[in-house]
Amino acid sequence: MDLILTNGMNLVYAVATLALIALGLAVVFGLLGVMNMAHGEFVMLGAFSVYVTQEAGLPILAAVPLALGVCGIVGYCVEWSIVRHLYSRPFDTLLATWGLSILMRKIVEVSFGRDYKSIDQVLPGTVDLFGIAYPSYRLVLLAVIAGFFGLLFIWYRRSNTGARIKAMVSNPPLAAAVGIDTARLARMTFVFGVCTAGLAGVALAPLVRVEPYMGIDYLLSSFFILVVGGLGSLEGLLIGSTVIGGTDAVISTLFAKTSGYMAVLLISILFLWLRPDGLFSRR
Amino acid sequence: MAYSRVASLLAFVLLLAVPALSGMFTAYQLGLYLIFGLVGQGIALCWGRAGFLPLGQALFFGIGAYIAGAALKGADGNVFMLVPLLAVAVAVPALLAALVGLLVFNRQIGSGPYFSLITLALTMLGFQLANSADTITGGFNGMTGIPGLPGIDSFGNLYFVIVGVLAVVSLGLYWLLKTPFGVLLSATAQNEERLQFFGFNTSALKAAAFGISAGLAGLAGALYAPHQGIVTPQSVGFLLSAEFVIWTAVGGRASIAGPVIGAVVIGFLASELRDAFRYWEAVIGLIFIVTVLKFPQGLVGLAGALPGWFSDAARRPSRRRDVAAPPHRSDDAPSLVFDSVGVRIGPVRILDGLSLRIDKPGIHAIIGPNGAGKTSAFNAMTGRLPLTAGNIAWHGHSLAGLKPYQVARRDISRKFQVPSVFADLTVDENLDIALWANRIGLAALFSMRPHAWRSDLFEALAERFVFLKDGGTTAGALSLGQRQMLDFSMTYLTEARLVLLDEPCAGLSTGETAQMIEAIAAINASIGSTAIIIEHDMRVVERLSDHVFVMHQGRLLAEGNIAAVRADPEVQAVYSGGTK
Repeated sequence: MDLILTNGMNLVYAVATLALIALGLAVVFGLLGVMNMAHGEFVMLGAFSVYVTQEAGLPILAAVPLALGVCGIVGYCVEWSIVRHLYSRPFDTLLATWGLSILMRKIVEVSFGRDYKSIDQVLPGTVDLFGIAYPSYRLVLLAVIAGFFGLLFIWYRRSNTGARIKAMVSNPPLAAAVGIDTARLARMTFVFGVCTAGLAGVALAPLVRVEPYMGIDYLLSSFFILVVGGLGSLEGLLIGSTVIGGTDAVISTLFAKTSGYMAVLLISILFLWLRPDGLFSRR
Repeated sequence: MAYSRVASLLAFVLLLAVPALSGMFTAYQLGLYLIFGLVGQGIALCWGRAGFLPLGQALFFGIGAYIAGAALKGADGNVFMLVPLLAVAVAVPALLAALVGLLVFNRQIGSGPYFSLITLALTMLGFQLANSADTITGGFNGMTGIPGLPGIDSFGNLYFVIVGVLAVVSLGLYWLLKTPFGVLLSATAQNEERLQFFGFNTSALKAAAFGISAGLAGLAGALYAPHQGIVTPQSVGFLLSAEFVIWTAVGGRASIAGPVIGAVVIGFLASELRDAFRYWEAVIGLIFIVTVLKFPQGLVGLAGALPGWFSDAARRPSRRRDVAAPPHRSDDAPSLVFDSVGVRIGPVRILDGLSLRIDKPGIHAIIGPNGAGKTSAFNAMTGRLPLTAGNIAWHGHSLAGLKPYQVARRDISRKFQVPSVFADLTVDENLDIALWANRIGLAALFSMRPHAWRSDLFEALAERFVFLKDGGTTAGALSLGQRQMLDFSMTYLTEARLVLLDEPCAGLSTGETAQMIEAIAAINASIGSTAIIIEHDMRVVERLSDHVFVMHQGRLLAEGNIAAVRADPEVQAVYSGGTK
């Protein structure tokens, strides 16, 4: 019973963090059609924000504004200088952001070194949860992610901005014709996307390895989630995270880590092959 | 052309002279960069020609290197064992890539990010496998103590082997790009869907290109193993994959020499600057971004400002055609049956129980107000729209669920309303592709003979549309009317039994329209095809067809000759704005 509960909690945790990581790419790729190959590098920037605040002797919460600031500024500049010229050229966007990811990795590597950074535990210790001891930080993180997604879901459905974004996604020229500043809206959507990636990096920094090359794994898992879940909806994002996170967790526990990775890869290829629009697509 | 051959020969001689001029150490370094350049040549084949980008090429490089390493260690100098094993080091990556390519491309038209990310994920997986399979790969520390090729000094004359392989591969690629296969790869990059409508299985073409590129990567890996004497998981990793792409981009993805130049230039710059300048690698990232945005042709493109350097951009005159294209069709009467065909997307009924039957050759017309479902009927027939009800049968075989290229292979040719030609290819190459459709076999794909193919219809068309004789012109440089006529000619050159023409006169001037009407009538009669033409212009319909279908709201409203259709009160009601 305890074992089931522990594994169940681990699974929920894995799915929640995956969904948080993939959210940024879901926004940027799903809504704007920009395959941001530097998505993982924005997660990396968030994680390094935690490292910087820790080295400066500040509490981890100070990393949140730092990550938002850094990712926001970098995202804004990138959208302005590169991405906005390439909205109708998805292949070139892929290439340019791939170059950007290299640039970001190298700059961080030169500034902070190639080695793994040790991040202090936050909220060390465990909480008693139905008879099992569960790490408190993970529990807090789960609550924060659930709250964040709940708010986002309601906001995207109810707010004017949400409606404008939907209008822009389904018909950009018409949206512009009825007075929506689509250029600005697209830029803000892009910045929002990379900022959530940065926040995911902050949240996960105490729990994962932090080094300049950490981003690639997050790019790939986010991409697989979108392949399985389909583009353009929060429900699809959660379903994709569940399939990918669940498969990885189950297969990795039963066999080895590489088997989990291979299973995820196979599922994604199968989806691309048989259901290219994903399980849950509005398009 | 001659200029570029001289330049290539000079470069080859210069490469051979490097050990004597700059010493063995430089040659050893250069050898490594040339090996990397081989991988880049494969990437350039996929990216610069076929238009899709493999991001995980190190996987195939690494597999080749590991297999070659194991072979060199196991064969222990026995050449008769070694040669087949080295062939395996090339074949395994090639077959693996072709398989992955088939699986992914089969469902994904175009060059979206999906394929690239799958290859990236595969290389990540390969890295993990190489790291964990200690017994085979030596794990994290790598496979060490790999001996050199028998009788060849890795620090000495192996360099000449590498240069030789590079020369052979470059010549092979030069030849490959000239074959019909190479032309079709370029066409795939420009308009994959149109190529499918000529009956070409573009996913198989792309998978073959990917397989060849992976074979090259495996070959490079097989040279790398004896060159370095060690193969580590880094040789499979994504960082090396990324560098391959950078070298290819910076050198020039559209040329054969470009990727090698990129690898050599960046390789030597890196070895000079790496220690002196900390931000060097960040600069490389920046150079890559600028290359992608501003100089897609890379260093070779910059040099290409000089006439004809390394690239064969020089225009050729129209070539001689003196080999009769093989005939391919039978002349029995057509039989096309739409049986209560329904197509719906969401709540919208696009086709709603469309039934019609064609069993006579000649020109049939479909008319109807906008939104009647005319083009959708074509789309349903040619694999662009899935049927939700009913069936479409052509000579007794259902067309439902077929892909566009499979429909085209059943002798159905289609022209879209918007002229769609392969804009970056010459007029000659465009016409070639149409002549090859349903006629070219696998062996002919890799021979030069199909370039000389001709047919009687080809000459009739060239007499009629004189600009077709100026075959060296780029198709994108033609006027709209000329592109319509080129597209029309290509559609008919397939000599398909059923030809679908969607508003062939759209966008033409009055004079051009008259010319086009005359051409449709004469050419269709000359080859005895069955044509279905969608048209709004009643004068065109009147001139061409005595069998008219009127469609309205996804259904057949009336059928008969033009006078009967005009007299039909229901048709009059629809066209005079009444509702039914």
